[in-house]
Amino acid sequence: MSDIGKVRLRIPSSIKPGDVVQVRSLVIHPMERVERDAQGKIVQKNYNYINKVIVTYLGKTVVTFDTTQGVAENPFFSFTFKATDPGQLKVQFLDTTGGRYEGIADIKFS
Amino acid sequence: MTDDQLVTRRAVLGALGALGVVAAGGGLVTGAPGTAHAQGLGQNESVQDTMKRLFGDKPIKDGAAVIKLDLPLIAENGAVVPISVNVDSPMTPTNYVRHIYVVADKNRIPLITRVTLAPEAGRAFMGANVRLGETGDVRAIVEQSDGTLLLVKREVKVTVGGCGG
Repeated sequence: MSDIGKVRLRIPSSIKPGDVVQVRSLVIHPMERVERDAQGKIVQKNYNYINKVIVTYLGKTVVTFDTTQGVAENPFFSFTFKATDPGQLKVQFLDTTGGRYEGIADIKFS
Repeated sequence: MTDDQLVTRRAVLGALGALGVVAAGGGLVTGAPGTAHAQGLGQNESVQDTMKRLFGDKPIKDGAAVIKLDLPLIAENGAVVPISVNVDSPMTPTNYVRHIYVVADKNRIPLITRVTLAPEAGRAFMGANVRLGETGDVRAIVEQSDGTLLLVKREVKVTVGGCGG
C-alpha cells in the first residue's frame, strides 16, 4: 500500500465570492478494522486508522471530523465552507500511527 | 593496552545498555497514544451507553423538521455506505450547529464520527462513507451552539456487513 496518504480534493470549477462551497475530499488509507479473537474479544493493538480530519481555510479551522473505525476504507469526506477571500484551503488527515497527510487547494474566484 | 581495552569494552557495554533503555522508553511513549485512542471516542459498547456517554441525560428533541439525513435504503455492501447530513440552520457566530454526530445502532463501535463545525462553514453539512455491520438504525444527532440536541434516525438494510471480525 504505497499509495497510503494520497489525498484528492474536488472543488467546484467556478466559485464566486460569498458562495458556500461544497468540497469533496478523499484519502487513500486502509482504516484497519477491529480484529477479534475466537472468543470475540477485541485484540488490543494500535490500529492504524484516521482519527482526525482538520479543514482549515485562510488559516482558520472550519470543520473537524473526529472519526473512529466506523469510517470506510479509503475514506471520503465532504464538507462546506464559505468562500470569502481567495486563499488556501487545507485538509489534513491524521492517523493513529502519527501519519499526517494533507491536501491543499487554492481558492480563486473567477 | 589491556587496561585500555577493558575500558573500551565497558564503555561500549554501558553505551549499549543506555541505548536499550532509550529504546524501551521510546516504545512506551509510542505505545501510549495507541491505547489512548482505543479508549477514546469509539468504544465497543451498546448504543445506549454511547448516547449516555456523549450526551448524559440531556433531553434530545426530534429534529426531523430541520435535519436531512441522506442514506441509501438498502446498502448492498456494508463496507462502504455513503451518508450525508444536511441541517437547515443558520450559521451565524451566535447561532450555528456546533457538532454533528453519526451513530450506527448495530455497530459494535456505534459512534462513527463527530464533526465539529465553525460558523465559517456556511452550511451545516457533512458527508462521508461509513461502515455498517448489519441492518439497523443510523442516527444523526445535531448539537446547536445553545446546547439544543436534535436527532433523526433511519433504518438501513445491509446485505453484506462491513465491519468484519
